[in-house]
Amino acid sequence: MKPLILHGHERSITQIKYNREGDLLFSSSKDNKPNVWYSLNGERLGTFNGHQGVVWCIDIDWTTTKFLSGGGDNTLKIWDCETGKTIGTIYTNSSVRACNFSYSGNMAAFANDKALRQQCEIHIIDVRNVDESISQATPILKIPVSDSRVTSLLWGALDETLLTGHENGEIIQWDLQTGKKLNSTKEHDYIINDMQMSKDATMFITASKDHTAKLFDSDNLMLLKTYKTERPVNSAAISPIMEHVVLGGGQDAMDVTTTSTKIGKFDSRFFHLVFEEEFGRVKGHFGPIHSVAFHPDGKGYSSGGEDGYVRVHNFDQSYFEYGFDY
Amino acid sequence: MAKKKLDERGSQSGDNGRNDGDVSSNEDEPNFSDPEDFVDDITDEELLGDVLRQKPKETDGVESVIVVDGVPQVGQDRLEKLQSVINKIFSKFGNIVNTHYPMNEKGQTKGYIFLEYSSPIHAQEAVKVTNNYKLDKQHTFLVNLFTDFSKYEKIPELWKPPEPQTYEGQADLYYYLLEPDAYDQFCVVTAQGQSVQIWQNTQPDPVLVEDRQTWTQTYVKWSPLGTFFTTFHKQGVALWGGPNFTQYKRFSHSAVQFIDYSPCEKYVITYSPQGDVHNPDQKRIIIWDIRTGLEKRSFNHEGPSAWPIFRWSHDDKYFARIGTDVLSIYETPSFGLLEKKSLKISGIRDFSWSPTDNVIAYWVAEDKDVPARVTLLEIPNRNEIRNKNLFNVADCKIHWQKSGDYLCVKVDRYSKVRKEKNETKYSGMYFNFEIFHMREKEVPVDSVESKEPIQAFAWEPVGSKFAIIHGDTPNISVSFYEVRVGQAPLLLKKLEKRACNHLFWSPNGQFIVLAGLGSNGGGSLEFVDTHDFVIMNTTDHYQASDVEWDPTGRFVVTAVSVWKTKVDTGYYMWSFQGKILKRINLEKFAQLLWRPRCPTLLDDKQLKDIKKNLKKYYAQFESKDRMRQTKASKELIEKRSALMEKFSAYRQKRIKEWNEQKSRRLELRNGVDTDELDSDIQNAEEEIVEFFVKEEIIDIE
Repeated sequence: MKPLILHGHERSITQIKYNREGDLLFSSSKDNKPNVWYSLNGERLGTFNGHQGVVWCIDIDWTTTKFLSGGGDNTLKIWDCETGKTIGTIYTNSSVRACNFSYSGNMAAFANDKALRQQCEIHIIDVRNVDESISQATPILKIPVSDSRVTSLLWGALDETLLTGHENGEIIQWDLQTGKKLNSTKEHDYIINDMQMSKDATMFITASKDHTAKLFDSDNLMLLKTYKTERPVNSAAISPIMEHVVLGGGQDAMDVTTTSTKIGKFDSRFFHLVFEEEFGRVKGHFGPIHSVAFHPDGKGYSSGGEDGYVRVHNFDQSYFEYGFDY
Repeated sequence: MAKKKLDERGSQSGDNGRNDGDVSSNEDEPNFSDPEDFVDDITDEELLGDVLRQKPKETDGVESVIVVDGVPQVGQDRLEKLQSVINKIFSKFGNIVNTHYPMNEKGQTKGYIFLEYSSPIHAQEAVKVTNNYKLDKQHTFLVNLFTDFSKYEKIPELWKPPEPQTYEGQADLYYYLLEPDAYDQFCVVTAQGQSVQIWQNTQPDPVLVEDRQTWTQTYVKWSPLGTFFTTFHKQGVALWGGPNFTQYKRFSHSAVQFIDYSPCEKYVITYSPQGDVHNPDQKRIIIWDIRTGLEKRSFNHEGPSAWPIFRWSHDDKYFARIGTDVLSIYETPSFGLLEKKSLKISGIRDFSWSPTDNVIAYWVAEDKDVPARVTLLEIPNRNEIRNKNLFNVADCKIHWQKSGDYLCVKVDRYSKVRKEKNETKYSGMYFNFEIFHMREKEVPVDSVESKEPIQAFAWEPVGSKFAIIHGDTPNISVSFYEVRVGQAPLLLKKLEKRACNHLFWSPNGQFIVLAGLGSNGGGSLEFVDTHDFVIMNTTDHYQASDVEWDPTGRFVVTAVSVWKTKVDTGYYMWSFQGKILKRINLEKFAQLLWRPRCPTLLDDKQLKDIKKNLKKYYAQFESKDRMRQTKASKELIEKRSALMEKFSAYRQKRIKEWNEQKSRRLELRNGVDTDELDSDIQNAEEEIVEFFVKEEIIDIE
């Protein structure tokens, strides 16, 4: 399995995402220019120029017409996917940490950091007709989060609920009708770095600094499975076709002064979804992996890391032939 | 008092009484006498039990009285002097409330006195301390509690035999040796003794035998034959044994840090380097008898010294320690110096007992014109059985082979020496190995020389080979030599350019692990069969800090201890060929120790027979292993299918719910079905995009 190595960022990758069809791969990094690539051959299609700082989070709507990015320059930007032009900017009082289009694509949610005199807040906005006026528009809903800040965010099924992962390891389900907490669970000990839905959005996987990734029911937040490693997990994804999950992470760059790739364990690790057993590793990054994503057809996956590279893998035939005895 | 109360009681019960009272306050003597028909049916106890209980008794204070015998008999003239002396001695223990000096008719004291303290506790203390107190040459106090007299007076005439106590059999301390498959046990400690586990290394998966939280406060140790498990506590050490690891003995020695068992497990030495701040009398080193639990002898040791300070002979008969220019040998069970004096050996630097005979090897440093010397000394007759003079010696290290057949003295030699400010600096170092053939007549000595610095030396525990690691990084080599009768040691093999700094022979010889431990070793591992020098496997365990062979030489454990590094602690289990069997990552893992075994009871002939007929046994064990393997994989598959069944049931339910929501999903996405990638074919447009294909290979790392 020989990956395509996408070298278009100057600093570490913060998030990568495929569009619904999987022909395009979007990436953001700590430099200020999110990129979009052809996932097939790794050619760069374009760059979204306009942010002034770190881009923490990105998302694409299901029609691949709008692109969302939030960053350390205290803005959330909505872009036209085809032209790469900004069509709307929302100014906040702190960094935007997480953003997501709803299932319908009519709404988007984002969360900003806790900062000086600024509480962590979740915003729900209308993104049906975006133009410059959106910066003045009042959000549909604003939920202040007083305790632990939101570090990742997902829409629940049918745009009725919102799931947020928090710095203290808690997961909260919000009712969007009322803006109230519906349910919460605290299975992780440390910050939840990433949450990703399964293909049918009935389950989601969390990645936490407590060295584990966990699988939850997205309706009642029931803990289904736990995948254990020896390193912080920064990102995790569920295969759309196999009963597999992939975990990316590794020793934090700042925690070890002389991090060799060996001790850092910067591998993508494959676990069986049900048995929680590890069955494969993919080496390559020479820093921790910050984001992983399965191709929507399940025949490949990509990872982006501290080293600034995005590696696009297509699975070999042996991957599909390998099975567990049970 | 009782009377009055009674009256009051009476007054409450009837009008008659009250009238009486009224009368009394005015004039005549009141009539307190009971009426004719009064019956006193209330006992004093019932009325004022609390007061009665405090009523002084005739015997009160008896417990506080002591009788002092052996007091000088004096006349009236010197009585005052005597009293002041007695007061001085006995008032130390408490307040003396009463004294009595019985006199005869002449006014002379009778030679015994009675003293009463304010509390029985003081009296007991006084008896304990002043009994047998020597006042002067003629007078020794004999002090007893007064109550003791009555106690001994009351001894019944007839002797009653004591109740026989039921016999409680000692737990079988050697049960672990009866394990039919000869599985070995090992203990695992996680940091600061938070949890101690004992595992049985069954195949294919080890079984947990015992798991206790805070079993020890620092680390643990097995006794040399594996009988006892030792845990360390603030107050001392505890020995555990038997099938359930019940406590066998406790040795109280506060702040104990090190222990050393005698080879036959008869005695144990505990060492508390700092001593006990609250109890300065406590000795630093105590030797205990394990079976009785009694202290045999204690020492105070000052100054730094390599532990073990006391070294035991192989049969527990002698133990010795080194001092400045002396070697002190003690014998058991008397624990006195052998022949009541230490051996004077000027310039003695180090010594070591033979592991199989009562022979001590020691070496003496150079002194002006006298060369350095290695001497073999027979104990107890102190015969020097061999002497070897050595020149230009900087340092020596004594290595006995485990079977006691050979002794190797590694000699660091110099070509030049300079004295600088009280420091001696050696240069032009080279190294000699002096091999003593212990089993041959006159103990011939062979010598092997090496110009390169020596990193490690190790004898094959059984057999006649030894291995050395020599050279400077990065040109480290490992050389294997064989020692033969009447011949100089023969170089068998030299493995060049190795990344190792430690040697670990299998306890049964032949196999060896070359390991690179510590921060610069990287945890490289090489498994070598020294029969034909096949390298069976080259691998690594990153940052490994320890290598431990099991006592039978079937398994090797490599471990990363939290004492050395903080990340990735845990242990790996390997077969002796270097095949990985288990990887256990354990947070805060600290220590793993195999339980030692007693030496085999089979003699050489029987061992040979078994080796010869190995094929016969082989098939039987092979089939047993296979059966276990299939059973284990069957269990795993059963576990998996149970998991899968449960999960599938859950998924079925959820997928059903999901399908029911399809219409609402379509609504949200304008009627476009996006459930599958290809479920919206009619809306899809085929677009042909031309790509530039440029291949670039970037080599990372």
